[in-house]
Amino acid sequence: MRGLGSTKSPLAQESSFADPKALMAIRNLELRARVVVEGFWKGLHRSPYHGFSAEFTEYRQYSPGDDTRYLDWRLYARSDRYYLKRFEDETNLRCHLLVDQSRSMDYGSLSYTKAEYVRTLGATLAWFLHGQGDAVGLLSFDERVRDYLPPRHRHGHLRQLMLALENVDEGGRTSLGEPLRRVAELARKRGLLVLLSDLLTPLADLEPNLARLTAAGHEVVLFQILDPNELAFSFERPMLFQDLESRQDVYLDPPALRSEYQRRLHEHCRQAELVCQKLGASFYRLVTDQPLELALVDFLRARGRRNKLVRRRGPTITAS
Amino acid sequence: MSFLAPWFLLGALAVGGPVLFHLIRRSARERVPFSSLLFLRPTPPRATRRHKLEHIVLLVLRCLAVLLLAAGFARPFFRSSKASPPVLGAGRQTLLLLDTSASMRREGLWAKARAVAERYFDRAAPADRVAVMTFDTQARTLISFSDWSAWAPGERGALARQRLAAISPSWGGTQLGAALTTAAERFAEESRRDDVAGIRELTLISDLQEGAKLDGLQGHDWPKGVRVIIERVEPKRRGNAGLEILDASGAGMGNAGGPRVRVVNAHDSGFERLRLAWLPESGSGPVGKAAEIYVPPGQTRTVPAPELPAGTTSGALRLSGDEEEFDNTAYFAAPEVEHISIAYFGSESANDPEHMLYYLQRAFPPATRRQVEVVCPMPNGLFSLATLSHAALAVVPTALAPNESKAVQEWMAGGKTALLVLSNAQSAGTLAALAGTADIDVTEASGEYALLGDIDFTHPIFAPFGEPQFSDFSHIHFWKHRRWAMPENIRGRALAKFDDGSTALAQIPVGKGNLLVLGAGWHPAESQLAVSTKFLPLMQIILDWSGGAAPARSQFQIGEAIPSPGGAGDGLTWRKPNGKVVALGASAAFTDTDLPGIYTATDGSKVRRFAVNVPLDESRTAALSADELARLGVPLTSTVVAAAATSPSAQHQVQLEVLENRQKLWRWAIVGILAIALVEIGLAGWLSRRVSNVRVTP
Repeated sequence: MRGLGSTKSPLAQESSFADPKALMAIRNLELRARVVVEGFWKGLHRSPYHGFSAEFTEYRQYSPGDDTRYLDWRLYARSDRYYLKRFEDETNLRCHLLVDQSRSMDYGSLSYTKAEYVRTLGATLAWFLHGQGDAVGLLSFDERVRDYLPPRHRHGHLRQLMLALENVDEGGRTSLGEPLRRVAELARKRGLLVLLSDLLTPLADLEPNLARLTAAGHEVVLFQILDPNELAFSFERPMLFQDLESRQDVYLDPPALRSEYQRRLHEHCRQAELVCQKLGASFYRLVTDQPLELALVDFLRARGRRNKLVRRRGPTITAS
Repeated sequence: MSFLAPWFLLGALAVGGPVLFHLIRRSARERVPFSSLLFLRPTPPRATRRHKLEHIVLLVLRCLAVLLLAAGFARPFFRSSKASPPVLGAGRQTLLLLDTSASMRREGLWAKARAVAERYFDRAAPADRVAVMTFDTQARTLISFSDWSAWAPGERGALARQRLAAISPSWGGTQLGAALTTAAERFAEESRRDDVAGIRELTLISDLQEGAKLDGLQGHDWPKGVRVIIERVEPKRRGNAGLEILDASGAGMGNAGGPRVRVVNAHDSGFERLRLAWLPESGSGPVGKAAEIYVPPGQTRTVPAPELPAGTTSGALRLSGDEEEFDNTAYFAAPEVEHISIAYFGSESANDPEHMLYYLQRAFPPATRRQVEVVCPMPNGLFSLATLSHAALAVVPTALAPNESKAVQEWMAGGKTALLVLSNAQSAGTLAALAGTADIDVTEASGEYALLGDIDFTHPIFAPFGEPQFSDFSHIHFWKHRRWAMPENIRGRALAKFDDGSTALAQIPVGKGNLLVLGAGWHPAESQLAVSTKFLPLMQIILDWSGGAAPARSQFQIGEAIPSPGGAGDGLTWRKPNGKVVALGASAAFTDTDLPGIYTATDGSKVRRFAVNVPLDESRTAALSADELARLGVPLTSTVVAAAATSPSAQHQVQLEVLENRQKLWRWAIVGILAIALVEIGLAGWLSRRVSNVRVTP
């Protein structure tokens, strides 16, 4: 976890990760994701996290009350014993990417907006997980669910997901309550939920809905995406500001308001972080001038910590 | 430096505006989008401290612009200028332009106009000079500046009143534009000639009715220093209706419905129900059946006139229903059918399409206003001089006997026109005899056919064909034609030539008349001329040009000249509606049309009638806005200002105005403001770009 004021991590300066500005110049979203993931693999070729969600199947002996539809009749023919067949998809990771497409994401003091950064991050995670054979789904939202693509791992699904990510309409205001409630209804099976948002909205809805998801056994990773200027608020002169979410015009004097703004923003982020800590969710903040590979690092770190937690909780639960 | 309007300098206090705006922190002209203002609260704009004035150079420029603007409005001028103001004590020059048009005949108007003029006479100081011009369709000088100066100061008022009493409104229209420009030019001429300086005023005393013509005012270059004052005289009653009988050139006597009448009702009329009835030429009381019409105020209606009383061809149509009498009678003279004869010196049958007479007769079909008859002056081979003398045009298609040639030549010398067609080489003698010269050689042209090559479209005969869409004569083939050369001793003019260079049509003056020589016949054996579309108009034009046709119009307006209807004798006797008799030459136009009514022109036993009426525009008596004159560039001054300008202080002020008007320093203030604005725009743009480069651009 890095501090609020730091917009450049030491890792970004020293590593050979792709420069976000150069990366965003690539128009094709899929190609952007591929560049990030391949660069990342190149840097982490000795990664200990390789294969954490490898598939496996098993047979279980039939006991009365089991559904006979899943009996393996061929095995019965060979061995004269009743075995139940476990399906492949039951064993794989089901990941939902929850992408914020509200109007506040359209802000960007760099040559690209937060929305473009988030789309690239979502595409990168999808590419990464799909490469491992996991099922990836997408739920984009503003104050309601705008688009939903259920998690699948089949030919062409990744392409469809990229297209859904690229499908940009003008969003509305940010509201976390309704999308999180909706994803709790949609994601019946336990899986991974990755929330990509700037969280620039009142957080009253966050805790109860996040608690509902973690209680359902979902693993939740929360990426807060902020623009460098949202942290620094480096405007020099008084001027008329327009709230991108509410379209409201407000006259502001930034030099006079800067310190209070930063304090309140810090408090807000801290509150979100505390909610995540309380509920066992992972919270990471990304500033849009940071390389996307850092998000992958954070992501894998969250996965690793989760696996350790899972292992500590008992051998009855297998991976995923 | 002095200021003509120093109170405008108070506007310089507005310089506080830019200073205040520079003290207030500049609010952004553009809106800066930001992701969320959740953590921000609005802050009102606040003033910086005095020493935090931003962009001092811009502030100075803006203050300077405000100061210059105030100075410009205050109209600065230098008293020590070399351009001297008008001499103090020099008299005022006033030119009174008095409207004497027909609309001034309304009740009480003329008396009021005279009273206004007399007020000016009385007000004139000994050093002042007053001139009076009257105008209706044209402007006339009644009292000139030199007349006024020549009179003894004590007698000027009385003498001027005396002259004014001798005139009264005429029946003419109101050519206000022409009158104003004429008066301004006279005024300028007088001032130049007398080399005097002083206040120069042109005072228009008129009812300024809507129908006044303002032609010529647009773009007129008014003399400098001349001010125009309008003294409008108001009528006792508002509203008026008038009528005009439309020229029945298309209808004529054969029209069962009679002439049509245009009735106009002025904008300010309070009535719309009018009646039309004919009056007898002598006596009073309407005759025939009256027609009732409805014309809403401000509108015009054209209606058929009531049927003329039986057996009359002229009369007066009276409009009743409005109270202004001056324009309620319109006079009508029915156009008379003109009988014209053309003498044709040929003996062929009129029904034989192989000969020229067949086509000549059909070139003049019967018309409502003109009946053309082709007659033969040699019905039984014997020449009839009487037939020729009544003819308007003679056509000679064959060789004539010497006595016949002589008679035709004498007839032509009296002012007539003959068309000689060279149908063969034997026509040479006739040509020479008619042209009054020695032998002219006429030969038959050889070759396949000829076309018209060179046509003089400047001559009245071919001028109507001058437009490109009518000027193509190249499709008319002349299978046969004759070549002849114009003798040098006669002043003939070739109007058209064949493509081989020989003359196709020529005009040879013979005495007062003319001889036209055509090198080929128009019948099919000689050419395609008769069957071409050019033949009929060409023949009609030749007939008109020969002077045989009477004027087509019988309706005229006051001031218009009536063209002579022609006559066999030496002169015509014209009789005006008031009984005055004027004898004029047969070809002279009658110009003394100053009264409405029926004018008669008598030529022996033949009497022609013409109707002269008051222009319909005089009936449009709604008030014309003085703004319309101002819009056309007339330098108007209100009467209040003009009256106030009589005191010495006011005269001094006027002189200062003239001085300021000569220097026009305010123009330099405007130039300065424009220059400052350009610099300010450039500087502000540069500063704005510099600032936006410094701050983060979301």
